[in-house]
Amino acid sequence: MPRTESDVRWVDEPRLGFWEQLYIPAMLDGLKTTIGHIFRPQVRTEQYPEQEPKLPGNYRGVHRLNRDEEGRVKCVACYMCATACPAHCIDIVAAPAPTEWQKDGREKYPETFVIDELRCIYCGMCEEACPVDAIELTTLYDLTGLSREQMVFDKEKLLSVFDQTTKAGTDPVRTRSGRLSVASETPPG
Amino acid sequence: MPAFDPTTTAIVIVCLMAGVLGLCGFLTLSERKISAWMQDRLGPNRVGPFGLLQPLADGGKFFLKEEVIPSHVDKVFYVMAPSVAVGTALLALAVVPFGPTAPPPDPVPVAAGAVATFEQAQAEYQNQTNFVLAPGLDVGVLYLFAVGSLAVYGVVLAGWSANNKYSLLGALRASAQIISYEIPLGMAVLGVFLIVGSLNPEKVIAWQTANGVWWLVVFQPLALLLFMTAQYAEANRLPFDLPEAEQELVGGYHTEYSALKLGLMLLSEYVHLVAGSLMLVALFLGGWSLFGLEGFVTHPVWAAAVKTLIVCGKMFALVIFAQFVRWTIPRFRFDQLMNIAWKVMIPLALLNLLCVMAVKQLGWPLGVLTGTSAVLFLGAGVVSVRLSGSVTNPKRKVVKLPPGLPAGVTYAS
Amino acid sequence: MPTVYVNDKPVEIGTRKLNCVQAADLAGVFVPHYCWHEALTVVASCRMCLVEVGELKDGKLTMQPKVVPGCQTPVKDGTVVVTGEYAKRHPALPALPYDPGYTKGGQPGERAKKAQADTLEGLLINHPLDCPVCDKAGECKLQDFSFKYGRSESRMVDAKNTPPNKPHLSSKITLFTDRCIMCTRCVRFTREVSGTSELMVTNRGHHEEIDVFPGRPLENKLAGNVVELCPVGALGSKDFLYKQRVWYLKTTDGVCSRCATGCSTAVDHNKDIVYRVNARPNPEAQGHFICDDGRYGYHFANSTERITRPLLRADGATRPAPWSAVTPRLREAFDRAAAENPAGVVAVLSPFLTVEEAFLYATYFKGLSADVRLALGPVPVVGQDDTYPKDVRGNPVEPVRFTIRAEKCPNRRGVEAVLRHFQKDIVPFDAAAREGVAAMWFAGGYPDRDAVGADTGTDWKTPGLLVAQDLFPTVVTAAAGFVLPATSAFEKDGTFVNHAGLAQTFPRAVRPPVEVRTELQLAYDLLGRRGLVQAGAVRAELARAVPAFAGLAAADRPATGVRFALEMA
Repeated sequence: MPRTESDVRWVDEPRLGFWEQLYIPAMLDGLKTTIGHIFRPQVRTEQYPEQEPKLPGNYRGVHRLNRDEEGRVKCVACYMCATACPAHCIDIVAAPAPTEWQKDGREKYPETFVIDELRCIYCGMCEEACPVDAIELTTLYDLTGLSREQMVFDKEKLLSVFDQTTKAGTDPVRTRSGRLSVASETPPG
Repeated sequence: MPAFDPTTTAIVIVCLMAGVLGLCGFLTLSERKISAWMQDRLGPNRVGPFGLLQPLADGGKFFLKEEVIPSHVDKVFYVMAPSVAVGTALLALAVVPFGPTAPPPDPVPVAAGAVATFEQAQAEYQNQTNFVLAPGLDVGVLYLFAVGSLAVYGVVLAGWSANNKYSLLGALRASAQIISYEIPLGMAVLGVFLIVGSLNPEKVIAWQTANGVWWLVVFQPLALLLFMTAQYAEANRLPFDLPEAEQELVGGYHTEYSALKLGLMLLSEYVHLVAGSLMLVALFLGGWSLFGLEGFVTHPVWAAAVKTLIVCGKMFALVIFAQFVRWTIPRFRFDQLMNIAWKVMIPLALLNLLCVMAVKQLGWPLGVLTGTSAVLFLGAGVVSVRLSGSVTNPKRKVVKLPPGLPAGVTYAS
Repeated sequence: MPTVYVNDKPVEIGTRKLNCVQAADLAGVFVPHYCWHEALTVVASCRMCLVEVGELKDGKLTMQPKVVPGCQTPVKDGTVVVTGEYAKRHPALPALPYDPGYTKGGQPGERAKKAQADTLEGLLINHPLDCPVCDKAGECKLQDFSFKYGRSESRMVDAKNTPPNKPHLSSKITLFTDRCIMCTRCVRFTREVSGTSELMVTNRGHHEEIDVFPGRPLENKLAGNVVELCPVGALGSKDFLYKQRVWYLKTTDGVCSRCATGCSTAVDHNKDIVYRVNARPNPEAQGHFICDDGRYGYHFANSTERITRPLLRADGATRPAPWSAVTPRLREAFDRAAAENPAGVVAVLSPFLTVEEAFLYATYFKGLSADVRLALGPVPVVGQDDTYPKDVRGNPVEPVRFTIRAEKCPNRRGVEAVLRHFQKDIVPFDAAAREGVAAMWFAGGYPDRDAVGADTGTDWKTPGLLVAQDLFPTVVTAAAGFVLPATSAFEKDGTFVNHAGLAQTFPRAVRPPVEVRTELQLAYDLLGRRGLVQAGAVRAELARAVPAFAGLAAADRPATGVRFALEMA
C-alpha cells in the first residue's frame, strides 16, 4: 500500500539543553552506561563446543525421511516437497512400490530421494507440504562435509538421520497429520 | 646523563620499540575485552588463559596470511605507505619521557663562580639517567608535532596508491581531519609552554614536580580537554574514525591492504595513541610524580622502576579511557567533525592562550587560570545554547515534497 | 434464429443440435461433466452436469421443477438453462421473469449448485484420498470440480470400498479400481470408437467395477485413448506411470510424425525430455483421438542411441567434429561436386522433413546447379490402412471413425509439393540411387532405422561423397563420409502436410541435444545466410516462392491447419 502524506508524522529534533551542549556531561553519562555494563555484566554467551545449545523442538536443521511402523520409508513420492521447495534442492525418482508393500495400499514409493543440503535454505516448506509426514527437519545443526558430494543426501542417508535422531531421542516424530492423509487412514481390514 | 653511547642508545631504542609494539598488541586485546564487557559479551577467551595469548595469535595470523598486492595499485607507494605510517608513529617516541627524567640545567648568568656552578650542574646532569631516547631536546614538543603530522603521509599514500575510491575517500577524509586537528592540538599546549617557559617535556615535568601536587591539569583543564580530543582525532579513533568508517568506506584507506601491511597500518594507530598518551602524562599529569609517593623509594634503581611504573600506569589509564570513549560514543558526521575543530576547539584554544598570556603579563596567581578555563568552557556551552547548537550542527532546511510524490522522502537543501 | 438463454444470456444456436452443456459452452459458461464426451454417446450417468431447465414462450417462463442432466437435455428455441454458476453471470444482463413460486425466495441456480455439490459428495464416498500418489493429480477433473463445486469435508463415516487394482487390464494400461467414478467413458470408447468392446462394467451399485473379459485384455491400437478419456486417475498409462507429476509438464502443440494421418497432438515435456503425447482434438485432422503408435511412439526422441553430433569418417572410422569445421567442408565439397558433375549430385529429401526444411534444402541444391537432382527419400509403408471401429473379431466396420495409415511418414505430400516446384518429376530414392551418383546428400530423420534399410537394395552403390543425416545409425550412415545428426518432430518448428493435404504448423516442443543442429538451421548455414534461422520467416519465404503453399502466409491461420488443393502424386 502506498504511503500518503498523512501517514508521515513529522518530528522535530529534540532541543539540546545547556548540559548537553557542553558535550562532556553527556559523554560522561554515556560512559556511566557502558562502564556500568562492565561491572554488572549480563553475559548470555554460550560456550559452543563445550556447551550444546538448547534448541526448540521446531528448529529447522538437517532433514530426515521418516520410517513407518515396519521400517519402510514413509514417503510416497508425491513430489509435494519438491514442488514446494523454493530452492529446488529435492530430487525424487518415483517408482511403483514393491509388490509386498502394495497389500498395505502402498502404490508408489521413492526409488531415489536426494536432497542437496547445500542448496537447501532450511525453510521447512517440504515438511509443511508433506501429506504423509515423511519428511521432517531435525534439530541437527552441525552439518559438515568435506566435499559437495558429501552434502548431497540420498535416501539411505536421510533414513539414517531418522534412525540417529530417534535413537538419540532428540527428535521424536513431531508432525501428526490431519484426517485427510494417506498415512493417517486406517489400512483396510 | 652519561655521554652519548651508540650501543646503549641502540639497546634502548630496540627495547622501547619492542616494548611499545608488544604493548600495542595487548592494547588490541584490552580493546576487544573492554568492548565485549561493555556489550555483555565475553570477548576473546580461547587462546591462552582468559585469551591472554590472543595478541600472539593475531600477530601470527597477520604474518601467515596471504599477502595480496592487487594488480591495480601503484606498487612503490603501496608498499611504502605502511612503513611510512609506522615509521612516523615510532619516531614520535624519541622525545616522549617514559620514566624518570631530569631537565638539562639552565644556563647560569654570567657572574662569579658561574663556570663552576655550571660545570657542577653539568656533572650532576651527567649522572642522571633520563628515560627519554633523546633527552635534553629543547624543541621537544615541536619535534613531536612535526613528526606527528607526517603520519598523514602514510594515510594519503595508502589511499592514493590503492587506486580504489573507498581508499581515496578515506585518505582524503584522514588528511583533512589530521591537518585540521593539528591546530587545536598545538594551540592547546601553547599555554602550558607559556607557563613553564620551555618546550622541553622534561622541563615541563620538572616544573610540575617542583610544584608538588599542582600538576598543570589544575591550571589548564581546558587545554587538557582540547589536547585529548585532538589527540583522538589525530589517532583516527572513534568518535573520529571517519577515515576508516567501515559502514561507508569498507576499510577506508586500508581497504586494499592485507596481512602484515594491514597489521602495520592498524599498529601505527595504537603507537600514535601510546605516544600521545605519554605526552599527555608529561605535559598535564605530572609525568613520573604521584603526589610525592614516588619519593618513598630511595634506592636509585627501584626509584627509577617505580617512576617508570607511574608513568606507564598513567599512560595506561589514559589509553583505557580512550577505549572506554571509543565504545561509548558514536561517530561524528564529517561536517560536525570539521565544525568542532574550526568553530569550537580553535577559538577556545586561542582564548585560553589569551588568558594565559594575560595572567603571565599581569603577574596574577596561576589559580586564576583554573577559573578562566571553567569560564571559557561553560561560556562555550552558554553560547551554544543561545545559538541552538547551530555552530557544530547547522540546521538544514527540510523541504516537504509536493503532493503526488512518495511521502516520507525529504530533500535537504 | 433459435435462441437459448443460458444464465439469462441469449445465445443463437442456429441449426445445430446441441445439448445444454454445449449451449452453455457457446455462452461462455462451463458446465462440469465427467461422463459426457463430444465423441461418445450420452449416458448421463455421472450427474455432474445437472442444470435447471425451462422454456420461455411468449414472454412466459416455465421452469421444470427438478434439475436435469445437461448432457442429455437437448436445447431448442426458447430453452432456458440455469447452471450452478448463475450468480456469476454478467451483472448487466437483464434477468428473465423467473416465477417466484419456482425460486422460492432464493436465486435461480441454487438447486443446480446444490445438486452438483451433492453429486460430488456421492462420487467421493468411495474415492480414496490418494492424490499424492495418483498420477492424475493436477489434471484430475475430480480434484478440479471438488475444489470448485464441492464441499471441503467429507461426511462419510464408514470404511471406503477398496477393490483391488487391476494391472492385468492391458500390457500398457493399469486400472486403479478404487479411483473409478463409473463414468463409463472407457467402456463406451471401446464399444463405439475402437469397436473392440474389451471393457465392461461388472457388478452393480457401489460394487460396480470396470473390467475386461477373461482372457481378452484391452489390446487394440486405440486403447491408449481410454487413459486420456478417464476424468480421474483410475486408468493409468504404464508408460507414463510415476514418471513425472503433471504440473511439471509443459504442453506444446505437436503433429504426430508416425503416419500420414498427421494427428494433432499435445506434447508434454519437461527439461527437454518428452514424457507423454496426448491427442489434441482437431476435426480437420483426426478428430478426438490418436493411436497407440503415435501415443507411445515418442521414445525414439529420448533414445540414447541417437546420433547426437556430426561425425567425420576418416580411414573407416568416424570421429566427432565441430559444426564450425563441418559446415564449411560440406559447402566446399558440394560446390566442387556440382562444378565437376552437376547431374551426379543428388539430394534426397525424406518425407520426415518439414516443408520449410525441404524448401531450404531444395533452394540450396538447386542453387548449386539447375542440373542437381532432387529425390524423395524412402517412404515407409507398413501393411494396409487400419480403420476403426472394428467388430469383436477384428473386421473393419463402417462408418470409419479413425484410420491408421500404412504410410508411416508425416509429410510425403508436403515434400513432394516442394520437389515439384523445383523440378518436373518426383524421383523416388531407389531410382535416383542407381543412376551414376557422384555425390549424395541424404536428409533422413527416420525414427525407425529399418525404414531406410528396407528400401535400399543390395545393388546400391555408395557414391564418393555421401552425407547422411539421420536420427539413428542406418545402412546409409554406415557408408557415409559425413554423418550428421537429425532432429525429431518434437525438436523442430515447421509444417507437415498430411495425407489429405492438411498443412499443420507446429512449434518446437523440446530442444535437441546440445550438439545437434536442426535441418532448417543447417540448410540456412549452407545457403550462406547468417544468424539463427526463424522458421516463420522461412515459411513466409516458402509461401511467396511456392504457389501451392501461399496459404501458409496468412497470419490468422486456423489452429486446425490449412487445407490445400494439392494435386495428388
